[in-house]
Amino acid sequence: MSTDAAPAAPAAGADEPPAVQLRGITKRFPGVVANHDIDLSVRRGTIHAIVGENGAGKSTLMKTLYGMHRPDSGEILIDGDRIVFHSPQQAISAGIGMVHQHFMLADNFTVLENIVLGAEKLHGIGAAAARRIRELSRQYGLGVDPEALVEDLGVGDRQRVEILKVLYRGARVLILDEPTAVLVPQEVDELFENLRQLTREGLTVIFISHKLHEVLAVADAITVIRRGTTVAAVDPGEVTPRQLAALMVGSELPSPEARESTVTDVPVLAVAGLSVRTAGGRSLVEDVSFTIHRGEVVGIAGVEGNGQAELIEAIMGMRPSTGRVTLDGVDVSERGTRKRREAGLGYIPADRHRQGLLLDAPLWENRMLGHQTEAPNARGWLLNNRGARRDTERIVAEYDVRTPGADVPAAALSGGNQQKLIVGREMSHTPKVLLAAHPTRGVDIGAQAAIWEHIKRARREGMGVLLISADLDELIGLSDTLKVIFRGRFVAEADPAAVTPEQLGLAMTGCG
Amino acid sequence: MSTVLASAPAAPVAPPPRDRRFSLPILLLVIAGGLVALAAVRAITGANDLTSHGAVRAALQSAVPIGLAGLGGLWAERAGVVNIGLEGQMIFGTWFGAWAGFHWGPWAGVLAAVAGGALGGLLHALATVTFGVDHIISGVAITILAGGATRYLSQLAFQGLPGGGVTQSPPVPELPRLSVPGASVLDRVERAHWFLASDLAGILRGALTDVSTLTIVAALLVPLTFWVLWRTAFGLRLRSVGENPHAAESLGVNVYRYKYYGVVISGALAGLGGAFLSMVASSIYRESQTGGRGYIGLAAMIFGNWRPGGLASGALLFGYTDALQLRGGSQSVHALLLFLAFVLAAVGLWQVLRGRRTVGAVAIGAAVLVGLWYATTDAIPAEFVQAAPHITTLVVLALASQRLRMPAADGQRYRRGG
Ligand SMILES: Nc1ncnc2c1ncn2[C@@H]1O[C@H](COP(=O)(O)OP(=O)(O)OP(=O)(O)O)[C@@H](O)[C@H]1O
Ligand SMILES: [Mg+2]
Repeated sequence: MSTDAAPAAPAAGADEPPAVQLRGITKRFPGVVANHDIDLSVRRGTIHAIVGENGAGKSTLMKTLYGMHRPDSGEILIDGDRIVFHSPQQAISAGIGMVHQHFMLADNFTVLENIVLGAEKLHGIGAAAARRIRELSRQYGLGVDPEALVEDLGVGDRQRVEILKVLYRGARVLILDEPTAVLVPQEVDELFENLRQLTREGLTVIFISHKLHEVLAVADAITVIRRGTTVAAVDPGEVTPRQLAALMVGSELPSPEARESTVTDVPVLAVAGLSVRTAGGRSLVEDVSFTIHRGEVVGIAGVEGNGQAELIEAIMGMRPSTGRVTLDGVDVSERGTRKRREAGLGYIPADRHRQGLLLDAPLWENRMLGHQTEAPNARGWLLNNRGARRDTERIVAEYDVRTPGADVPAAALSGGNQQKLIVGREMSHTPKVLLAAHPTRGVDIGAQAAIWEHIKRARREGMGVLLISADLDELIGLSDTLKVIFRGRFVAEADPAAVTPEQLGLAMTGCG
Repeated sequence: MSTVLASAPAAPVAPPPRDRRFSLPILLLVIAGGLVALAAVRAITGANDLTSHGAVRAALQSAVPIGLAGLGGLWAERAGVVNIGLEGQMIFGTWFGAWAGFHWGPWAGVLAAVAGGALGGLLHALATVTFGVDHIISGVAITILAGGATRYLSQLAFQGLPGGGVTQSPPVPELPRLSVPGASVLDRVERAHWFLASDLAGILRGALTDVSTLTIVAALLVPLTFWVLWRTAFGLRLRSVGENPHAAESLGVNVYRYKYYGVVISGALAGLGGAFLSMVASSIYRESQTGGRGYIGLAAMIFGNWRPGGLASGALLFGYTDALQLRGGSQSVHALLLFLAFVLAAVGLWQVLRGRRTVGAVAIGAAVLVGLWYATTDAIPAEFVQAAPHITTLVVLALASQRLRMPAADGQRYRRGG
């Protein structure tokens, strides 16, 4: 472990200028210094990982490199030349491409349309462009069909579309912001295979991840960022996950293991014969039945897009469905979402920007969402703004939400800190059953451990949990019962004490 | 694996159905079926006006302004801006068309109407895109403004002229009308009242003879819109800001600029629709001449699922019922009941065949009721006849809304970098 800029550079490339070099980058937002005097050096043809806790400033740094905003000070060197970017276009023409933490795709467009948008000059928008996309797709083994509608694609495919979008523009340096957060193990392996293929062709990849074993497995070099500044540049061959975690947050690598069982035989949520269809009559969830007992965590494993999101939304009453939902002995099938929440359902949505938050509203208003009729947010018919504000401060402290205060808009928080706020809000009302979709998505390992601890404590006190997660370690570690969902049906049950992530991953793709 | 993974019996899962848009052969089949049904209804009821060339001509006349407004709506909403100010932009079109037409001839009128509508569009773009005003509020404001502004302008420009006044303009010279040579031989066939042949002749004659040049322009604008929006880079960018402006921005598309393009073109098209009203449908500008056609154009656009072809059929459908009603056709509208019964029955059967029994049963039940209504009455109350076009629009929208898909970011405020 060393703290110099370019560890273990092979002799051959030693005198070649780095593909990307950032020197002394500082970027301030109102009330926060997101990046402070950051140095980063990335060699050509390597995979360079950037790790760090939530709000450390990783996304901000990458956005600077991609020209989305300008640093307050510091300089960017591409292949040894100093460049100032005023817009992503300039970054693109300098050969830099970025795949964002949240996908930037138009669902109702075809893959082709999404890719050629903004780069129509290259090969037009017709057959020539399609040919070029097929060619690139073959060259890098991406397997993308230009005619497909993006809406019909799973997350893995969408990600490959994003990568193609960048390659199509001739990028030589690829930035990937948490590309694996939504992928299952097989897809992660495929992605890494794709990335290695890219570096073999001489491209450079920079990627951000919270999953340290992945980082160690795939990266050629690692830079650790803490509280806005680079604290170390390490060689993956020389560190263990433990050491890396210590560098990031100064704490041990947590494990989601739920050791002692707290399952009782008192059912708290019973779902019977639940089916969900699209307006067009296509079946999304087909005749699903299960029971959650007090103190039990039921995990649902499945590749995204197999009905798990719809199942949760149906239980929340957000999506029309047929079948029966009984919460703590009360039939809530006919109730709306608010009544169900008041009856004791908590909800951590899969997509926090679409469902969990109002990005333009301050944190304390977000704290009220979904609980606007309950204390401390309401007093009778009236809202209690002061109470909500005070309680937001409690959540910020208790869940370690990194924010300058309760009055900043939710959009100003980093992805992981937004997630912590949502978890805090839902847990504050001691739900009887928590429906948790990817509760630790985009959350750093320290905060992950804290969220797991909160869930486990509530479970000991009798809360039931329905858990969906793309992180199979989390799913296996937390769950008392595991079910595999495939094309809207439960196709298998697994014993969390014995199953491995690989076996589960296979079952999820319908091969079990 | 069997020790840890207990598989439930795997049920066969049908692959999700693909694209549900009609393919061309099916579309042609539906059109042909509709024609035969219409011909049959005419033969049964003797309501010869149903497919007369006069009715077809009137239908076109009434469909063109709606279609142009609808196209206007399409351009704006594809760029993510709801333009409920179409009505106001149309009003500008009627006024400027008549004003410039009176002074400098009909083509100058058309140009002025387009410019007037575009100006209204520019105003809407300024409010919604640059200042982030709610789209509906800005649209309503523009419509109110247009009503007031044109009255004021009339006072200045029309009062004192022969035939002009605060609420109307002097007569405006007409735009040329064209006929396909030789199409008049269809006359004989039409008057023979043969099943299907005469119907076709009537329809062709109505569509090919004595057609205003502006109608031809409007008809050409439909495929042109499709071509520009779906086959050019410009169109791709314009649609992208209506689907996902953040993605578009991240790829270097200037979102504000394309929204401006969409909304200004939208206003221009509405203005053209206004010109049609004051220069072709009548040869004079009158206050409130638009009569809500801007809104009906929006309905036609929704009916057409935000696509030019669908929107054109929506406009034609509305134009047709409107034409029958205008031609004093209590008899024709009454005959339409039978047609409606046929259509409902066909839809019902189709739904049953696709396995959706309840929807099918409801449709067939409705068909029987409408059929009974037809059989037990001789005429339809006059109020109902007048409302027929609007009722048709409502019913069709209600039926169609299940499978509509609007641009994903339609009507949303967009801030750069937000
Ligand atoms: N637009 C903004 N306005 C104000 N503050 C911001 C803005 N964007 C980021 N910040 C702040 O800058 C800091 C760094 O955020 P950044 O998104 O770079 O974190 P990150 O390392 O990517 O975290 P995560 O792992 O949670 O995604 C955070 O404190 C965040 O609140
Ligand atoms: Mg981030």
